[in-house]
Amino acid sequence: MKNFRLIIGALGTILILLVAVPLVRMIVAADPALLRATISDKEVLTCVSLTMRAALWATLGCAIFGIPLAYALARWRFPGRSIVQGLIDLPVMIPHTAAGIALLMVYGKAFFLGKAFSMLGISFVGTEAGISLAMAFVSFPFLVNAARDGFISVDTRLEKVARTLGASPWQAFFKISLPLAWRPILSGGIMMWARGISEFGAVIILAYHPMTAPVLIWERFEAYGLKYARPVAVLLVLLCLAIFALLRGLAAKRRSD
Amino acid sequence: MLRLKDVTMSLGSFRLTNVSLHVEQGAYLVLLGPSGAGKTVLLETIAGLHRVDSGNIFLDGKEITSLPPEKRRLGVVYQDYALFPHMTVYENIAFGLRLRKQPKELIRQSITKIAEFLEITPLLDRRPQRLSGGEKQRVALARALVLRPYVLLLDEPLSALDQYSRNRLRRELKRIHREIGVTIFHITHDLNEAFFLADKIALMKHGTILQEGKPAEIHEKPRNQTVAELIGIKNFLEAAPRSSGLHTKLGRFELSPLPCLPEGTSKVVLTIPAWSIELLPKRQNQIYAWRGKMKVTDLNIGDEQVEIELTHTSGQSVKTVLSRRELAKMFNPVAIGDAVQVGIWKQGLSIII
Repeated sequence: MKNFRLIIGALGTILILLVAVPLVRMIVAADPALLRATISDKEVLTCVSLTMRAALWATLGCAIFGIPLAYALARWRFPGRSIVQGLIDLPVMIPHTAAGIALLMVYGKAFFLGKAFSMLGISFVGTEAGISLAMAFVSFPFLVNAARDGFISVDTRLEKVARTLGASPWQAFFKISLPLAWRPILSGGIMMWARGISEFGAVIILAYHPMTAPVLIWERFEAYGLKYARPVAVLLVLLCLAIFALLRGLAAKRRSD
Repeated sequence: MLRLKDVTMSLGSFRLTNVSLHVEQGAYLVLLGPSGAGKTVLLETIAGLHRVDSGNIFLDGKEITSLPPEKRRLGVVYQDYALFPHMTVYENIAFGLRLRKQPKELIRQSITKIAEFLEITPLLDRRPQRLSGGEKQRVALARALVLRPYVLLLDEPLSALDQYSRNRLRRELKRIHREIGVTIFHITHDLNEAFFLADKIALMKHGTILQEGKPAEIHEKPRNQTVAELIGIKNFLEAAPRSSGLHTKLGRFELSPLPCLPEGTSKVVLTIPAWSIELLPKRQNQIYAWRGKMKVTDLNIGDEQVEIELTHTSGQSVKTVLSRRELAKMFNPVAIGDAVQVGIWKQGLSIII
């Protein structure tokens, strides 16, 4: 019994240390003066705010299309449902640079879709829209899967009762299903946002410029070396940690409800 | 009031087949059937939550077969009450009234009235999670009744409650029905509940209605053995009708006059409810259809009732039930292995062809 607990505990600890040690070392080793300089570095701030903004657009855009999709997956049995579910999980599995290439082939000017959008004045190559698109492509599963699980956890009888009390299907959705699934949807959204912020592979293929924070880290590492890449990395990690703490807080509040 | 005509529908592998039913204005109909009989599917079909394949549903003379649930004005109360967890009790009850865009003051008045009637006024500001089962049940009833539905549809409303609350709410349902006069369609698998509450009972199994009628009618004339089993009869004897009476393995049953049987009927089934079997019979002879000796082969003592199995020398056994009081009052309490005098009353017997 004692050995059992010891071995299980040790194995888990090793994995946690694998993640925690580099992060802690990076933050602790950061030169405060350099970090301060980084925070007031205009280029860094522009990149960070662009990153957060682009990820937010990606998340909001996906919410509009993804929440109804999540509802359909949670409630209805339709032909091809499992294929749709598989497609949703796919972006997590394929290399993100490959995802970027695939996006470039469709939204670049060589394909009719890219051409159609450029006629409307929207270009996805080397633009903020392109960054959002790349972020959306690789991170929407977080939102859709969380929302789907949220809707599954809402008893269908609540919707049925609402209908018998006079609610149309839309009213039942907006007054019952959505408010009850709200928290999982929100935490899925924050997760998607955070994942969007950290995206590098797909973004760099579609838009090296304007530069997002992960691209900036890469560029400074390539051009000036570790010393100058580190403060930006620390800043971004701290930012993501703050978002993650927020997410955990939300999830904890949900359990205590 | 509510009329179903040959309603057929399928849901996955389940099927409702040619369901016809009639619930009069102000009646209390109980749909009784084992779990898996399709009771909830039928209730939800009436409420408009499932589409029918064929057949018609009429409410108050108007066809509502393809009307969406929100336009039917039927109240539904589910077994686990399905209260909206993100709303207070007040908001739950106000939900339907607000959808109807009633003025705030009017909503408040209606809720005050129904809350007083159901004795839930102190609960109005609470969340459903903080209520007991019985309280949730009252709130769910209030939420449905406040909209003055044509018919109140109750899906096993007492099953999730403990014995005490169940008995209390059973009487409460009777009071609601009497005082509000609302037509009630109540589904259950509980025999006691059905006979306690119903003006009319419909029996359902495998997605079809087997028989409907007043409780006494069904007791007197169960249409077939399945119906008899559903209403709790455990004794079935094969019998051959002759001019002198019914001949069974126990011997001759004196039933005069014998009910009219179709010409040439040579075999029937005699059903004997437990309460028709009396131990140590001491009434006038003409009450009994059969008297004789039997051996006690099993005896199970419950909290109020005692189940006894009696076996005849022919090997035929029957089951009867005594109250604990009856057993205690016996001069020599019976025990397994005892041979006792048994009388089977004429009253309660029925014949299934």
